[in-house]
Amino acid sequence: MTGTSSDARLITPTMIAAWLVLATVPLWISKVGLYPYIGVEILIWSIYALAFNLVLGVSGLPSFGHGAFFGIGAYAFGLTQFNVAANLWVCLIGATLAGAVAGLLVGLFIAHRRGIYFALLTIAFGQIFWTISVKSHSITGGEDGLLNIVRLPVNLGVVAFDISDNDSLYYFVLAVFAVVAVVLWRLVNSPYGRLLSAIRQSEVRTAHLGYNVWLYKLSIIVISAGFSGFAGGLFAMAQRSAFPDVMNLAQSGLVVMMTLVGGGLVSFWGPVIGVIVFLTARDVIGAMTNAWMLYFGTMFVLLVLFRPDGIAGAFKLLVERWKARGATPSLSSAPRSG
Amino acid sequence: MFDLLPHLLNGLVLGLLLALIALGFMLIVGLMEQINLAHGSLFALGAYLALALTGPNPPLPSDLAALWLQVPLGWRYGIALIVAPCLAGIVGIAVEFCMRRTYGSDPLYGLLLTFGVALVLEEVLRLTWGTRDHVLPIPQSMSGGFIFGDLIWSTYRFYAAGMAAVVIGLVWLFIEKTPYGAMIKAGAHDSEMVRALGVNLSKLRLGVFMLGTMLAAFAGIVVAPIWGIRPHMGVDAVVPAFLIIVLGGVGSFWGAVIASLLVGLAVGVSGAYASEWSLLSMYLLLVAVVSFRARGLFGKKSMLEV
Repeated sequence: MTGTSSDARLITPTMIAAWLVLATVPLWISKVGLYPYIGVEILIWSIYALAFNLVLGVSGLPSFGHGAFFGIGAYAFGLTQFNVAANLWVCLIGATLAGAVAGLLVGLFIAHRRGIYFALLTIAFGQIFWTISVKSHSITGGEDGLLNIVRLPVNLGVVAFDISDNDSLYYFVLAVFAVVAVVLWRLVNSPYGRLLSAIRQSEVRTAHLGYNVWLYKLSIIVISAGFSGFAGGLFAMAQRSAFPDVMNLAQSGLVVMMTLVGGGLVSFWGPVIGVIVFLTARDVIGAMTNAWMLYFGTMFVLLVLFRPDGIAGAFKLLVERWKARGATPSLSSAPRSG
Repeated sequence: MFDLLPHLLNGLVLGLLLALIALGFMLIVGLMEQINLAHGSLFALGAYLALALTGPNPPLPSDLAALWLQVPLGWRYGIALIVAPCLAGIVGIAVEFCMRRTYGSDPLYGLLLTFGVALVLEEVLRLTWGTRDHVLPIPQSMSGGFIFGDLIWSTYRFYAAGMAAVVIGLVWLFIEKTPYGAMIKAGAHDSEMVRALGVNLSKLRLGVFMLGTMLAAFAGIVVAPIWGIRPHMGVDAVVPAFLIIVLGGVGSFWGAVIASLLVGLAVGVSGAYASEWSLLSMYLLLVAVVSFRARGLFGKKSMLEV
């Protein structure tokens, strides 16, 4: 929530409604002509985009190298599975830690930067990790990827669920998504989250109020990278493999694009909307034409030009107009933000 | 030491080519304080347009095409070297018209806009010419190789480096010795004042963006015979280009050229010891330099830091 008011609630009615709708997805998804697997993909990318938006939307740090953390998480999941323990929780913790450590390493070099310099350095670090993952054949399998990753059973102590088929995997990921969303929602609406918003609005002013801006920026980079790594771990398990592609510049740009299309700059849920629109459009338009990126890219250009607030921003504007319908028209009916 | 000489020379050639690639990017970032992520796609566009002009299937009516193919390859190559950048320049004008809306707001929007443009351009290239690799035909006199010091050297690399050096020199002359160059430099320094002095800043920006695009396309044609032509070749160009600008310092001409040569030498020399990992050396060079000199080697304070 990067708007003006803080929300103290743990869970909002909208969240419950959204989860109920999401819980019914496996029942109708194949009837509307989409693959059931897209549901899993949407939820995992939503976690990733929400984590990414901690940096872009909440703190105002444009990272163009977040794919590195996602990819590192994916590799860490596979490598933990092969070398440490084939336990789901251990592997997911490994993925999260790997992402967070990479985030710390990068953060130490870039946390004192902002704006375009920040963006350019994140591109450089993203490329470093990408090059390493492509060239380290013995560890990552190079361009061929890390194969034979298994979908591990969900062991809850007393009971264990098998999640090797897509439907049960979907429900597992949905449960994880719900937990992560609540955690991030609380994080963004906590005093810590408010301070990050202050840094986004004016770093200098926040520093003059006596806060250690550098430490706050470093910590949010680490947290965001950790959750991105976690999402990457889930992705590796869902795909049963890990590839270097997710780490390259174009893929790192895609998450920026999804977050902005959805409206991550003005709404906490914007990134999720963006992921749903992007992946659904990819499957629907992609089924009709090979050139789907042409249409999506054009749409993105138009969006940046005319609606930089994204879908959530446009929606907010509509709601405001609708509310103001009865009231006397005023000149400043639609204050623009972002 | 002598063992290292070929690697040094290769690095120097690579450095000159990288400087040529970064030149247009530098002009745009210097005057307009906009990161043009479409630079790589415009670079690729130049290479593909040259391919269309020199290749066996020119996009002309069949009788005209037959006539065109009668022209010797050397002439066709020379014409492509001029015509293809001009055509790409037209695309650049269109991009600049879109970009106008983002001036004055967060530079992030310009970056995102050009990222979108890059996606679209790359898809257009893929749709038009397919995903396979192409080879740009070059005149007989420039291809082939020669033996020097027991090693085989590719002739074209030296022609390419020479062309790069000439264009770098011409751009320097343009910036330093013409009134337009003075306006560009002044615009980069203080755009408000330049406008107050009666310079049409939007025309100036359009001109600079077009020039930057043409330089990108020209670089694409020069580099294409060495790197090959494929739809995603732009990424291989835009990443070193921005890296060089950050390394050399935003707004510094010689900073960019020196940074290019450094990157070329780093890649060339590290290629002697670990060819697999040579590309990593340029990123490490960047991180090492930028950790100690926040604005790069010769950078001045700029808008981009806010």
